[in-house]
Amino acid sequence: MKQFISITALLLCTAQAFAQYTFFEPKESFAIEVSLDNTTLKRLPVYRNAVSALAVSGDHILGGTSAGEGLSPFIFVASLSRRELTHMLDLGKAIPGQRSVAAGFCKGGSVFYAGTIANNEAGGHIMRITLGSNGQPVVKDLGIPVPKEGIFSLTANDAGTMLYGISYPKGIFFSYDVARGKVTTFNNLVPSDKDLRQLTHEYAMEPEEFLGKALVTDQQGRVYGSLPVNKLFRFDPQTQQFTILDNYLPEVWGRRTLGQVEAWARAADGKLYGGNRGDGQLFELDPATLKMKNLGKPVMMNRLRALSFARDGKLYGIGGGQPGYAHLFSYNTTEGFRDYGNPQFTLVAPGLEQGIAWRGFQIGSMAASADGKYVVMGEDEALSQLLIFAVEENK
Amino acid sequence: MIKLLHNIWYKTAGLTAAAMMVMLAEAGAQDAGLIGKAHFQFIEYPDFPEANSTWGDIGFNPKDQCVYVGVTNHRNKIGWYVYNTVSKSIGLKGFISDLGHLRPFQWQGKIHTKVVFDRQGAVYFGTDGGESREEYLMDHPKGYAGGYLMKWEPAQNKLVNLGMTLQYESIKDVDVDPFTGKIYAITYPQVHFIVYDPATNNMQDLGRLGSAHVPRVMFTDQWGNCYYVDWRQRLVKYEKSTGKLVFSPHSLPAFEGTPGEHIITGITGYAKDHKKGEIYFVTYGAKLVRFRPTEHGIGAVEDLGGVYEAEGRERWRYYVPNLNIGANGKLYYIIGGHGNFAKKDRTLLMEFDPETRRHRTLHEFAESELSEATGSDIRDNEGNIYFAGRKQLQYDKNSVHAQKQLDNGISVPFIFKFNPDKQLQ
Repeated sequence: MKQFISITALLLCTAQAFAQYTFFEPKESFAIEVSLDNTTLKRLPVYRNAVSALAVSGDHILGGTSAGEGLSPFIFVASLSRRELTHMLDLGKAIPGQRSVAAGFCKGGSVFYAGTIANNEAGGHIMRITLGSNGQPVVKDLGIPVPKEGIFSLTANDAGTMLYGISYPKGIFFSYDVARGKVTTFNNLVPSDKDLRQLTHEYAMEPEEFLGKALVTDQQGRVYGSLPVNKLFRFDPQTQQFTILDNYLPEVWGRRTLGQVEAWARAADGKLYGGNRGDGQLFELDPATLKMKNLGKPVMMNRLRALSFARDGKLYGIGGGQPGYAHLFSYNTTEGFRDYGNPQFTLVAPGLEQGIAWRGFQIGSMAASADGKYVVMGEDEALSQLLIFAVEENK
Repeated sequence: MIKLLHNIWYKTAGLTAAAMMVMLAEAGAQDAGLIGKAHFQFIEYPDFPEANSTWGDIGFNPKDQCVYVGVTNHRNKIGWYVYNTVSKSIGLKGFISDLGHLRPFQWQGKIHTKVVFDRQGAVYFGTDGGESREEYLMDHPKGYAGGYLMKWEPAQNKLVNLGMTLQYESIKDVDVDPFTGKIYAITYPQVHFIVYDPATNNMQDLGRLGSAHVPRVMFTDQWGNCYYVDWRQRLVKYEKSTGKLVFSPHSLPAFEGTPGEHIITGITGYAKDHKKGEIYFVTYGAKLVRFRPTEHGIGAVEDLGGVYEAEGRERWRYYVPNLNIGANGKLYYIIGGHGNFAKKDRTLLMEFDPETRRHRTLHEFAESELSEATGSDIRDNEGNIYFAGRKQLQYDKNSVHAQKQLDNGISVPFIFKFNPDKQLQ
């Protein structure tokens, strides 16, 4: 059978046997079909299912999607144990006019927060999602923090009492006091006219390529992210002050303009790990010293779209992306990087009981379960699915 | 020693004779009458000694009554051939890299798409990486730049490069809307459905439709709508009146037990009955299907059964990467290839009558005669049917075909011309 799957491989198998790749095959892995158009099955329809936000809560995978222009996204829940989509909520019915769950999910206690980008001019909303006992998502609209702006990135402090975000397309930093519903905005990160001219004219870039795509808090509750050109910032909620770390993102010579952090993860020891979209480097930032260490690139391509720690202590991530292909990788200090290639797991669903292979080419999001056992990846496609694998415990 | 050799020959001959008896008995069980070799022609490609294969990249242009084929050395040269069905002559028009003004870093391994035509007789196809450099180097500078859409203008003998679809991606199949000139394409390995308008240079990427394998065949109906399949082997239609994809709620017919990797591979060949407005196709699960398209929405699908039946063998386990329809309304296809044969090392030419739903084995070929055939819906005005065929020989450095080395043997490509109703030689 494989001969048809890879015709070229068959014809040239002798010559290229040494060059063939194998797919990553952990003991437990599977794909969940969450998208399928025109079906009686519970599935997300075409162009409304790119998984842009992910979290795992117990058995429930919580997802938020991005839709095509003029279309409405979904909040959905899938079951890890049942390996199926269990709930889907058309966000257009809860908060009309939204196009993308662009930022999230950040956890505050037992609830989740996310930010949207709208189809209309009113602006993106902050929303709070709670899961019912059977996993049913309930969305509460917390309003528009920055009028006429979407929410491009969002994080929460560990207590879940404060949210911090960056707006789109201007890049306005804001904080949101959950208890009081109070928004405070800051223009400190908004690109200067000179930088904007360079970014949008000379380099033909769009705001989604240079605004800080991801935010993280350290153990002291300080907020970190990126801003153009190739800078990191730290916001201290105590003093309400920003510290700009100039030229701090790792760069390939001549490509400073492309610097953008699009993923963060915080390690148990408090160190922060970030992914630079520009050239796909992973870096380590010590909040205590503000020293940055460039850890290098897991794959040749640019992009580093997602990061999550798992129970084996390794940092898992997604390197690469359009126009190339996503690779799942892991990193720790003893092994360094390990590239697992395009993840390909078996998808079983009603009507596909025999199973089919599902290969992830474009992956936009990742989350690990609280115990670090499961790593869940969400595709960024016209018809996106979930790819999941279990991580072995360290012995 | 001589006696020993004689005994071996005698026993071998005896086995061969026995095998032939079995073969004839089996053929007779399904066959009302074999067609002889006088009904066939094998037309080899001149002036390209290292050419070793073709990949479905064949089509008949009713405007100039020529069959067009892209023939490859499966490395970096693709010969562009035209067979004139009136003068019965074949010629090499040049190589795609030269005709298309490609640089070495834009190398192309083959043409995998069929060759299609608009109403003015312009010829369209797409190119493919088609070798280990694409498969394994992927998005590396040493890898594959991406496949191009190409247009051949027969009157000027000119190839026009219409540009790339998606970076790094091959183009596995194309079709054209004869009314608007828009080109449909499917990419590899990401299975993206593309609609390209050469008049405006507008290209739409309608997104990924498949799973871990790229179904190789798309086709159009009489209105210019285009059809493909998703990973559940459901028809997906690009409806030109809305510019949107329409998904069938139902999967195509499949035999029970058909493995998932066969389901996701979709359709492998098709043929159109223009008079009846029907389209026949064959799936990688070895089902023959009749499809009655409608201008709007998904049309009706009718299960016509399997392509072949042999006792003790799963009915989905037959490989048919081709399909043609004769002037008599019957379907013709060739089973076998890529090590997947209905009978051991035999390639079968089959006839299927859609009305009676009976199939007959018309001829059996050894691999050294015909090992695999591709091509969909290729019939000239005289009722001759064409396939892009090849035969597999053991490697022999002294062979006149020694330069056609592929894998561990020799692969000799040719046009396989066939007429079910009359002799060609």
